[in-house]
Amino acid sequence: MSTVIPKKRLASGLTVTQKVFVRSRNGGATKVVSEHYLRDDIPCYSKACTRCPEIVKPDANNQYPNFVLSDSPVYAEKYGHHYVVLDTNIVLLAIDLLENKDAFCDVIVPQTVLEEVRNRSFPIYTRLRALCKSDEKRFAVFHNEFSEDTFVSRLLNETINDRNDRAIRRCCDYFQKHLNQHRDKKVKQINVVFVCNDKKNRDAAAGAGIMADSLVDYVTNLPNGEDLLDFVPNMEDGPSFSHKKETKFPDYYTTARLMGGIKNGTLYQGSINISSYNFLEGTISVPSFKKPLIIMGRENLNRSFNGDQVVVELLPKSKWKTPSNEIVEEENMDANDNAEDGDSPNEIISDKERLFLLKEAQKASSEESSTRIQPTAKIVGITKRSWRFYVGQISENSVAKDSRTSNAARNCFVILMDRSLPKIRIRTRKAGELLGQRIVVAVDSWPSTSKYPEGHFVKSLGAIESVQAETEALLLEHSVEYKPFSKKVLECLPKEGHDWKVPTKLDGDEFIKKRKDFRDKLVCSIDPPGCVDIDDALHAKQLPDGNWEVGVHIADVTNFVKPNTPLDAEGAYRGTSVYLVDKRIDMLPELLGTDLCSLKPYVDRFAFSVIWTLDNDANIIDTNFHKSIIRSREAFSYERAQLRIDDASQQDDLTKGMRALLDLSIKLKQQRLDAGALNLASPEVKVHMDSETADPGEVEIKKLLATNSLVEEFMLLANISVAKKIYDAFPQTAMLRRHAAPPATNFEVLNEMLRVRKNMSISLDSSKALADSLDRCVDPQDPYFNTLLRIMATRCMMAAEYFPSGMFSYGEFRHYGLASEIYTHFTSPIRRYCDVVAHRQLAAAIGYESLDFSHRDKDKMELICKNINKRHRNAQFAGRASIEYYVGQVMKNNNNDTQEGYIIKVFSNGIVVLVPKFGIEGLIKLEVLGDANSAKFDDENFSLSFKDQNGDAKTISVFEHVNVQIKSVLDPATSKRKAQLVLV
Amino acid sequence: MSNKELYSPEGLRLDGRRWNELKSFTCKVNTHQTSSDGSSYVQQGNTKVMCKVNGPLEPKSKANSNNNNASITVNLNIASFSPVERRKRPKSDRRIKEMMTILEKTFSETVITKLYPRTQIIVDCYVLSQDGGILSAVANSVTLALIDAGIAMYDFVSSINVGLYNNSIPILDLNHLEEGDMSFLTLGIVGKSEKLAMMLLEEKIPFDKLETLLGIGISGAQRIKDLMDEELRKHGKLLISTAAS
Ligand SMILES: [Zn+2]
Repeated sequence: MSTVIPKKRLASGLTVTQKVFVRSRNGGATKVVSEHYLRDDIPCYSKACTRCPEIVKPDANNQYPNFVLSDSPVYAEKYGHHYVVLDTNIVLLAIDLLENKDAFCDVIVPQTVLEEVRNRSFPIYTRLRALCKSDEKRFAVFHNEFSEDTFVSRLLNETINDRNDRAIRRCCDYFQKHLNQHRDKKVKQINVVFVCNDKKNRDAAAGAGIMADSLVDYVTNLPNGEDLLDFVPNMEDGPSFSHKKETKFPDYYTTARLMGGIKNGTLYQGSINISSYNFLEGTISVPSFKKPLIIMGRENLNRSFNGDQVVVELLPKSKWKTPSNEIVEEENMDANDNAEDGDSPNEIISDKERLFLLKEAQKASSEESSTRIQPTAKIVGITKRSWRFYVGQISENSVAKDSRTSNAARNCFVILMDRSLPKIRIRTRKAGELLGQRIVVAVDSWPSTSKYPEGHFVKSLGAIESVQAETEALLLEHSVEYKPFSKKVLECLPKEGHDWKVPTKLDGDEFIKKRKDFRDKLVCSIDPPGCVDIDDALHAKQLPDGNWEVGVHIADVTNFVKPNTPLDAEGAYRGTSVYLVDKRIDMLPELLGTDLCSLKPYVDRFAFSVIWTLDNDANIIDTNFHKSIIRSREAFSYERAQLRIDDASQQDDLTKGMRALLDLSIKLKQQRLDAGALNLASPEVKVHMDSETADPGEVEIKKLLATNSLVEEFMLLANISVAKKIYDAFPQTAMLRRHAAPPATNFEVLNEMLRVRKNMSISLDSSKALADSLDRCVDPQDPYFNTLLRIMATRCMMAAEYFPSGMFSYGEFRHYGLASEIYTHFTSPIRRYCDVVAHRQLAAAIGYESLDFSHRDKDKMELICKNINKRHRNAQFAGRASIEYYVGQVMKNNNNDTQEGYIIKVFSNGIVVLVPKFGIEGLIKLEVLGDANSAKFDDENFSLSFKDQNGDAKTISVFEHVNVQIKSVLDPATSKRKAQLVLV
Repeated sequence: MSNKELYSPEGLRLDGRRWNELKSFTCKVNTHQTSSDGSSYVQQGNTKVMCKVNGPLEPKSKANSNNNNASITVNLNIASFSPVERRKRPKSDRRIKEMMTILEKTFSETVITKLYPRTQIIVDCYVLSQDGGILSAVANSVTLALIDAGIAMYDFVSSINVGLYNNSIPILDLNHLEEGDMSFLTLGIVGKSEKLAMMLLEEKIPFDKLETLLGIGISGAQRIKDLMDEELRKHGKLLISTAAS
């Protein structure tokens, strides 16, 4: 629909017109009319222009725009000195290339393109905006829609796309003419080149006298084009990928059909989780079904990546399956696929896969008890891709040996480090050079006619197995920001640097006056040996009435990290510090973490203190919160603190206070356990576990001292007290942490194993019942069994998460693992952003300062929580991956070590063994165990019988204790060094 | 979420205006000569408002009569076709009630009511189309209609709204998309002074930003006053020239 809309001239170079369009929503159509102002003061941003500097107007902060486009842009023979105008498809496809510092400087982004990009992909829009901000890249957004010189109205019967293409061409034309006319005559001729991958649009541009080229042609014509061609993404309108054969994946449903289906309940939406043991099996949890839906086989998985948001359709009941008991790896299934498709494209379903699917179908039909059969579905649409940068390396056998030295572009496969993802096909000239290197690739598309997704090379991290490449790889794989802090961030730190001191005058500004002077309290800190970022310190003092005054003092990070500063933005973005075996990636700059905020002994420090009055049974009588100044008397390690407490000759007040703290902490712990708090791993392993999330933290086994739990108990208490206080003050936006109760289905398999193998069971009625039933599961013959069970139970639990209080009702705040009604993180603001927010909210709750808008706005808080949840999870994964790498390296030097292991999972063609000493688990395939043909798998008893290498019959089952030899091997597929286990 | 930038880094808003630019403003007076004593029509962008004033008249009931002053009654009618999606709002709608009360209070202070004791002045306002800033457009149209009716006032009341984008950038004269996405303040000032006759805050604005917003709102309202004044003078001249001929 189109109407001729009159323009009305207003005063001061402004014209107003109306934009009319029809919006459909909920089936109805609405005509929307909005005003659209056209202006004559939009500058061209070129340094060469003599006119535009005269017409610009300042913004709300009285800043004039920056003219970024250089007056001597890059020269190419074909184009002369030129600016580039980008088309939308180029930005969407090749944002990585645009970010390359050796190309694409002096670029004009028409507003039309910017809006289309924003519509299509918000992350790419964000990256494009970042480019426009950076000084080196010189990207300028030209608001062509608002300029009276370049605005075009939609013609009768013209589609939106055609109108937008015309608007972009108009913009190119305008720039060229404007530069010719207003260019400073001392400057050389500057041309405008329109880069566009749509042939029709290019032809129309050429017709209008605009220089236009496709991305490939443009890059080829650049002086450094050779080096850049590899970065050009793999999707041209040219003939580079043509698939002739009819083998293809099913097409996705149309958006309308997906929406309709979800609405009327025939289709389901969720995030797909592909098994790390079997790349052909995925599961997806949807609220309508108690058990997760199974998706089996490549055709049903239909090009989904692990973590994608997908829409599924249920298969008829006759096709429902049981979860697979087989280990299936892509490398075995499709090892011979050809990267160069040539005349015989790879069939999407190979014979091997057909065989696997047939077996699964037979298994399902012969299943006597139908209880294990789960609803099975197929994917019919993908609503959101989880695509990011992936780390991997070029598959050696996808590059022919004789062609490794040639420079011709060719296709090859990249095998990703994450085994649940498929190989990526890329096209590169440097395949030979890149062999043996860790490389980063991006995925561009996965056409239904291609068995593999197509992508392009982004950068190389270095040789495989070099520490630097592996560390960077695992940081990238888990999206950890590891670049050094930028200048802007560092500028937010106190100018005095390490010489910064707590002011001596305490009647300075109003904030200092509000602080309590606690320097007379006998405060000390207890941490692991060598700890430099001391978050917390404690003190205890007996009051005249026999009660105890106990204080927890937390580093006052928010005194330095103020809201809406680049420093705060960086901290919020990183969300958490990441601890790798040999490296720590800080959330906040080191100056704060290890010095100014760190509660070091013998110096004055700002702190945020929680002061309780506790009675002799550790019941809270009174709680107070203060911003304070403290002076720690001593920084103990756990061992030294323990020694001092145990040494009866020490009778000073500090030691007495520590004894009191220890005494009270034991009572607090008992209270917690009585309330049903979980103790998920036994003491021996607990050292590597964070007691709240139960994630392994360290490889070494340490002796657990009472002082460890001394500190922990008071930190938990402080977190709970603070959570109550900030919830009280900010019922809608308080930053809290919850841990949901695990659904019973999570424990089904484990309980079944327990029943069959050990005649035991775990109760899920409450956290107390769970804790008690775990305590009862003891095997007198095997003292480690209980710990093993706790480790396995941990994996069935839900993940704890941050949330703003308005998101759930009070009953759902509960922290299941800690058996607390309400909880937050307050005690480690140096290394967690949640704590920073909690500090600010608490400071506002006690009237110390006013709370920033972003922390009292529900939407903003939800965004913060979403980010820190993601960062927190990634940090844990990165930590674990680092340990895995580290263990692999250690094993390299002491092979043939025999260790105790436990079987935790049995497949029809292999077993998974956990080695407690190193906290590692490994897969042992049937071929390695013995004669694969003699094997019999009993899935009801979770056991596997086979003849071993000596021909002796053997039966092994889950929970069994085995001795294994650990060898360090380089996984041929992923080139990851891993501990490989061999049964002895 | 909209696919547009509410306020781009280049300093342009959704509809192409800069932060301190008004929507296109037009107004007319004496639009309903037969059915009222004074009338006006105000258009601010796509917000279109009409106003009729009747009075001073004998009050309909004794309840509306005051021995010392005139009493002012404001009725606000929002046409069901005026928003983007057709929606009927009952007259008892809390927000409409709130606006009527604010208008009555504001104009009881600006009209020299003691000149018209024991009378009633009835103001009927009609919102024909909405694109943000209804309250300020209505207030402006009431001023014009009262002047047209020849009712004595201390001075003009001119009104505008001003929002705070991203907690840092003040934005003048919001359209309905902008109103949906930021906290904003509607204010009315007396004549060309800096005296506030009316103020209404939607959502919340940090206290330290309030002064900046008020400053920008006041200068915006003064510009509106000039535009209304210009139209009134034009109308006055026309009347004189027709009377003379
Ligand atoms: Zn110019």
